[in-house]
Amino acid sequence: MNELVGGVIEIGWPQLLLSTGFVVVVGVLSLRLSLGLERDLAIATIRTFLQLVALGLVLRWVFGIDSPWLVLAILVFMMAAAAQTIVKRAPDAPPGILGSSMATMLLTGFTVTFAVTGLIVQVEPWYRAQYVIPIAGMVLGNSMNGIALALERTFADLDARAGEVLALTALGATPWEAAGDSVRVAIRAGLIPTINAMAAAGIVFIPGMMTGQVLAGADPLAAAYYQVVVMLMVSAATAFGSVLAVLLSFRKRFTADGVYIEKGYRTQL
Amino acid sequence: MLLSAEGLTFTSHADPGPHVVLERVSLGLEAGEIVDVRGPSGSGKTTLLRALARLLPDAVGTLTLAGRPAAEYAPAEWRSRVTLLPQTAAMRPGTVRENLLLPWDLKVRSAGHPPPDGALEQALHDVGLAEIALGRDASRLSVGQAARVALLRAVLTRPDVLLLDEPDANLDDESSAQVSAMTGRFAAAGGAILRVRHQRGDVAAARTLRLVGGHLTEVGP
Repeated sequence: MNELVGGVIEIGWPQLLLSTGFVVVVGVLSLRLSLGLERDLAIATIRTFLQLVALGLVLRWVFGIDSPWLVLAILVFMMAAAAQTIVKRAPDAPPGILGSSMATMLLTGFTVTFAVTGLIVQVEPWYRAQYVIPIAGMVLGNSMNGIALALERTFADLDARAGEVLALTALGATPWEAAGDSVRVAIRAGLIPTINAMAAAGIVFIPGMMTGQVLAGADPLAAAYYQVVVMLMVSAATAFGSVLAVLLSFRKRFTADGVYIEKGYRTQL
Repeated sequence: MLLSAEGLTFTSHADPGPHVVLERVSLGLEAGEIVDVRGPSGSGKTTLLRALARLLPDAVGTLTLAGRPAAEYAPAEWRSRVTLLPQTAAMRPGTVRENLLLPWDLKVRSAGHPPPDGALEQALHDVGLAEIALGRDASRLSVGQAARVALLRAVLTRPDVLLLDEPDANLDDESSAQVSAMTGRFAAAGGAILRVRHQRGDVAAARTLRLVGGHLTEVGP
């Protein structure tokens, strides 16, 4: 979990192996208690190693090359991966949602990331990978969770309210009028974790980025300022992203004539 | 002819595989007329009502209202004039008043004026709900009370045609009689009603149609 970048105390292979020892203990525990988690645990441990080491190597390479095109390509790749994850996490969402998720991630990801690196941190040159990629990662990672939650909630809530949606449509409601309650509930649900995290930051937990900077030897107050910027922009990205994603996609569950396509009906198609 | 349907056809793809629910069904409703639709469970009565309200994706056929084809009406406008009352009453979170006035929150009636409280209370009284205050939380209504509030919500908008899906399925005899009286007044004022019914017969219906195997036939009054 330690993301030390040129910190005060270096972590080498012996320390990495030692930390694996703790996971082995958990594995033994799992065997003794018949939890059946050994396999998943082993795979997850190996993935953590491989993925984070690969990330470290890739970032080192990218920092070295220092090309704006490479940075932009990596950002687009990250956003595509985030859009894919959103689609997977919202199984109730209609097909064709990948496009709107991608549009949402591109729009909020680029806007918020470069608003921070350009306007607030004032990175020179604008594409400096050391700043742009980690900040984009935090924006995308957090807003992705909020967006997935909001989308899943929208369609789950619409299905739960199918009777009400039909009654409203029968009275002449447009899709927006019929789905409005669900959309509002869903956007709220997507934002609550972020708002809670903002409220608890610094009291209940030390946010990840600040932890990393402090461990790497930064002044805690300077790290705090950075963390404030990151938390505020992550909240903004989550809010914009959830609203955009839900507004772009709720209509897909209605026909052109404004009829809600019910769950039972969908399985016939 | 107030509402007419020609060649309504709908094929369901649900279990047990594709089957025709409505096969070139035609029917006409005159202003002031109450018509009952009967037929065995699963014969497509609800499907027919949905098709008439333009709430059935993939249904084909020709619909006209007051001599104008359906295409000349925006879908929401059509539904505000040919209004379906689903069998299960769906109340929105809020008071009885908010539920009764809900139709006037919709864009399709933005030019209309919602009825005053006095009219709402009178309407509740007329269907045996005099004891229900307008400020009552709608989630605290019984199934039978909610069914009547949902009916009033549709009737008060004064559509041209009301499509009622078993309006008295959850009502006792007395409430059912009050609902019949209310639908009778609606028809007397020039509205047309198509009712799906299972049980009780009453004398209000001018005609009875029977839907079996996708075909609609007239079986007399």
